[in-house]
Amino acid sequence: MSVRPLPLLTHLIEVRLRPEFTDAEGAGALMLLQGSGLSSIKETRVCRLYEIKGPLSGNQVQQAAKDLLCDGVTQEFRVLSPSHAPLNGMNFWRVEVWLKPTVTDPVGETVRSAVAEMGLPRPDSVRCALVYRLVGRSTKPQIEKAFSKSLANLLIHRCVVSEAHP
Amino acid sequence: MSSSVAEHPAASDDFSIVGKSVKELRALGDHRHLSLNDAEWAAVQAHFKLLKREPSLAEIETIAQTWSEHCKHKIFTSPIRYTEGRKTRTIKNLFQETIVAATEALQKPWCLSVFEDNAGVISFGKKWALAFKAETHNPPSALEPYGGAATGVGGVVRDILGCGLGAKPVLNTDVFCFGRPDYKGFLPEGAHHPVRTLRGVVAGVRDYGNRMGIPTAGGGIWFDDDYRLNPLVFCGTVGLLPQWAVKKEVKPGDLIVAAGGRTGRDGLHGATFSSAVLGADAPSSAVQIGHAIIEKRVLDALLRARDRRLYRSVTDCGAGGFSSAVGELAARCGARVRLEAAPLKVSDLESWEIWLSESQERMVLAVPAKNLKALEAVFAAEGCETAVIGEFTRTGRLEVLHHANAVVDLDMKFLHKGLPRIEREAVWNAPSATKPSGGADKKLSQALKEAVGHLNVCSREWVIRQYDHEVQGGTVIKPLQGVRHDGPGDACVIWPHTATGDMDDFSGFSVAHGLNPEYGRFDPYWMALACVDEALRNLTCVGADPSRAALLDNFCWASPEDPKQLGALVRAAEGCRDAAKGFAAPFISGKDSLYNQSKDEKGRELPIPGTLLISAIATIPDTRKALTMDFKGPGNALYLIGRTNDEMGGSLYHRLLGRAGGEVPKVCPVTALDGFKSLHAAILKGLVLSAHDLSDGGLAVAATEMGFSGEFGCLVDLDEMPRDPRIYSNETLLFSESPSRILIEIKPEDEGSFLRHFGKAAKAAAVRRIGQTTANPIFKVVGLDGSTILEESLRELKEGWQKTLPAMLA
Amino acid sequence: MNHPKVLVLRAAGVNCELETAGAFAAVGGKPELVHISELRGGKKRLMDYAVLAIPGGFSYGDDVGAGKVLANQIRHTLTDLRQFVRLGRPVIGICNGFQALVKSGILPHSNACDQTASFTVNDSGRFEARWTHLRLNIQSSCLFFKGLPEMIELPVAHGEGKLVLKSPRHLEDLKKNKSIALQYVTEDGKLLGYPHNPNGSIFNIAGLTNPEGNVLGLMPHPERFVAVQQHPNWTRQTYRKQAIGLEMFRNAVIHAR
Repeated sequence: MSVRPLPLLTHLIEVRLRPEFTDAEGAGALMLLQGSGLSSIKETRVCRLYEIKGPLSGNQVQQAAKDLLCDGVTQEFRVLSPSHAPLNGMNFWRVEVWLKPTVTDPVGETVRSAVAEMGLPRPDSVRCALVYRLVGRSTKPQIEKAFSKSLANLLIHRCVVSEAHP
Repeated sequence: MSSSVAEHPAASDDFSIVGKSVKELRALGDHRHLSLNDAEWAAVQAHFKLLKREPSLAEIETIAQTWSEHCKHKIFTSPIRYTEGRKTRTIKNLFQETIVAATEALQKPWCLSVFEDNAGVISFGKKWALAFKAETHNPPSALEPYGGAATGVGGVVRDILGCGLGAKPVLNTDVFCFGRPDYKGFLPEGAHHPVRTLRGVVAGVRDYGNRMGIPTAGGGIWFDDDYRLNPLVFCGTVGLLPQWAVKKEVKPGDLIVAAGGRTGRDGLHGATFSSAVLGADAPSSAVQIGHAIIEKRVLDALLRARDRRLYRSVTDCGAGGFSSAVGELAARCGARVRLEAAPLKVSDLESWEIWLSESQERMVLAVPAKNLKALEAVFAAEGCETAVIGEFTRTGRLEVLHHANAVVDLDMKFLHKGLPRIEREAVWNAPSATKPSGGADKKLSQALKEAVGHLNVCSREWVIRQYDHEVQGGTVIKPLQGVRHDGPGDACVIWPHTATGDMDDFSGFSVAHGLNPEYGRFDPYWMALACVDEALRNLTCVGADPSRAALLDNFCWASPEDPKQLGALVRAAEGCRDAAKGFAAPFISGKDSLYNQSKDEKGRELPIPGTLLISAIATIPDTRKALTMDFKGPGNALYLIGRTNDEMGGSLYHRLLGRAGGEVPKVCPVTALDGFKSLHAAILKGLVLSAHDLSDGGLAVAATEMGFSGEFGCLVDLDEMPRDPRIYSNETLLFSESPSRILIEIKPEDEGSFLRHFGKAAKAAAVRRIGQTTANPIFKVVGLDGSTILEESLRELKEGWQKTLPAMLA
Repeated sequence: MNHPKVLVLRAAGVNCELETAGAFAAVGGKPELVHISELRGGKKRLMDYAVLAIPGGFSYGDDVGAGKVLANQIRHTLTDLRQFVRLGRPVIGICNGFQALVKSGILPHSNACDQTASFTVNDSGRFEARWTHLRLNIQSSCLFFKGLPEMIELPVAHGEGKLVLKSPRHLEDLKKNKSIALQYVTEDGKLLGYPHNPNGSIFNIAGLTNPEGNVLGLMPHPERFVAVQQHPNWTRQTYRKQAIGLEMFRNAVIHAR
């Protein structure tokens, strides 16, 4: 009789700047995307997406998100279901830029120890992605191409482009 | 049970080479990204034939790594059949016969460690020493500019941490060569546009250096489209260490302790890759993202352990990972390593991967067993992981075990001395001197505007501001100078009081660079002399002592298999030798990066121009006597040191006009040094208000920069310039790039003592009053015929100088 | 003469601790570099010190947000910090230390636990290092400013230094409580935008103090101006030669004596 290992839970937490704050990072990204041929995109905002794998309960994930990952004044967060389905949004796009699994993720490593330091179970792994939310008419191949020329290097990054909710 | 070591590396890992043909071995090498050439394969084959066994994969990887260009600099130390004109001679060891020979001939007592450690070391006062090293990280930066440049910084910082018993980094420098950011042509698949490379590289240097808390305060950028496929990223670091910590020794029985980051699959084949010609099929593992905070923890812990003298030796894990680090430390004794003890990022690594991995932020220490507990406590307190991965032995062998299986068992002698030397052909044909030709003259005012706005002259503020150039509080002469803190300084001066802990000791040092691949297109010999001259005159301009300068060489070249390229390299190395001897400035360390060429979009090889970076460091007994390049007031006298010759070959002015030919600037080190030393003595006496060197764009650009930085104008009479009397052209006087010249500002009441002093000191260097500063910010020039030939608003010139780079990046 | 003990806090990625300690030592303080793990383990106690300094740097890489992880540790480890502040002992947070003080809710109101301010990325989108002109709020009771001229210069070096507030009414509170310690200004004292205000902070705020005046948080680096030749224009004759940053440390040490 073998003991069944705890299921390896995957939690996805998205942290974004509240809409009332200017997003200088987003503005910089927009400039680069426009320079890479995506002239139809009018606005870009950047959020962070944390993938936490490990024996944390839903409440514990909420706590980590609230106290550690999210700034109490400038940011808000939501916990996504692991298979957050792309939604139909006219002219709204979402691009996740992940480091490939073999590439060191310094932010993920910091979060992993910081979560444990809060007294929560130590995650098995944490990876962090940048999420770009784009507003403007475009196509998936156009977006992929522009990202590969500016904000993502396909040698080390994995890009996931989907249509999104506004 | 500890003696249950297998007779020889486990059969499962065997890598059959004995009896294979040359062709088969080549295929094997290509398949595994091993850059061993035929002769090297033959040497390996013979070695294992003698041992009557096959090598393991880990052994082959270790040999390939150790013998790679990145680790051994085999081209520089192999015999070369060099043909110049009709004469052919054999150079046994280019490195020994040029760079090392010059240093040995100079015998400077203040050189504490040269060419043997991870960095060169010079003395700094009675108690302290400075370690200086510059390295390139070119192919990784081409593939992934951000990660490549960041790990370049991380790597050179670790070199300093691993120099002697460890030095505290007190300055980072960065020099880049890129394609023009406005490049409009095609690029081959996989190549990044120069503007992306620039952005990424700057961000990488910024994020790693700033996080480490090391000021990045010196450097430069050179733009030329021939770098578009092979950008060059030179990262330098200066570290401060006590003189007692300069020497290190490993004793058999010492424990091998790995400290810092964990070992993962990252960076495999980084070393072999750096000498393979860059292609689209580059392995993604060759690129990594750095983790500066881990390295900062290592830094904090290491220096604490050093001061408690808890270890006997240390080196960094760079190219080749553990294999190089342990191999280096154990070169004179031997080592036994147990790979299962190394902390891993992922559990499924193969033996050879652990052994060769180039994961960042790792150091290897030799620790006497009795100190282990104390050492572990120091590192643990900083949140920094350590692991005992083996011990040093007296067997003269490199033995590596993984779960009791022997995976490497090599003779140190074979590993470090067994590399076969291959003779290469080198050819150099001196270009015949040609008269300048082509291009159309420009109006002087137009030429000046274009010169100050030129990419290789314009303001670098966009880059410099992103670096924390003042952390540690020691940057007393900053890279940006003048009234509005935005003028182009010649060099930075560092007062390392934070590292010495002594705010009453005002001694410091300065670092400057020389680089001009354009001159190399004419003659790499004169390029080398010009680079050394430029670095030393920059140092002199900020008040550093030119007779206490030490040099680093960094050669970046295309493939040395091309005899012409290798001939040019020989020529440059000989220039380095003669410059070092002539200026009495020893080389203390250096590096080379070869094979910098790639196939362009049409499949043709695009080599970089032969590039030599000279980095110079000099001490300053009293940093309160340092000076900046901005004009300090109106009505002061302007003196020009050094003679102006008709040397327009390779000049910025010729490039602006599209003109070819002409004489490349030639340096006379004795005269030059005489001028620098005399100026230095005058600076120490407080007789000089500002000084700026004449380089790209000559007198015109130098005077303009001093003017707009100080917000005063000047009036210059070209007829007063010390010069070759055969020059009849105002353009030549304004834009010639004759070396060894410095423009200085002196109070009228000090002119007498300056001249008396300079006259006494200077035997050969020319000096003459050529004009004065004025209250109105106007640059006014009187030509040879006595009429005003130029009258330009410095405010407008400054605007042009400032807007070039931001405009191209927007 | 007594030499007040100064706790200079260290943590992974903090990198201005030596120059901060050096500044305190130069004015008669007795600085001690203490790693946060030593406080956590109980090896050292905050209450044994007369002054607390949280230096600049990139604590924990500023991953997740500048100073955020350190702020959490301050909340959980330095539980006696609020008492330390209540006792009127001087606390200075510089750059990253300021960010941590704000994100842990110590500034601007040390007796309320809520975080009411924060920092976002500079408007320029980049890390920038430059010298700034600053106007001290001479009406504030900030003990660090005693005897200082109203107009001073200090360098900033940060990428996430734009101070923002939870709601606009907090700005009125800050003004009312005289919590605005210093502001970025032009050479002649005007509140203008970039590059004078290097990051786009609300109301050009460069530093905050608590109403009692014993806690100071600021983005500029006073520890980088403790000697005349650290000023960018010390080689020019027109420059008034006084190392103003040092005086802030001197005030803290004098107060703690």
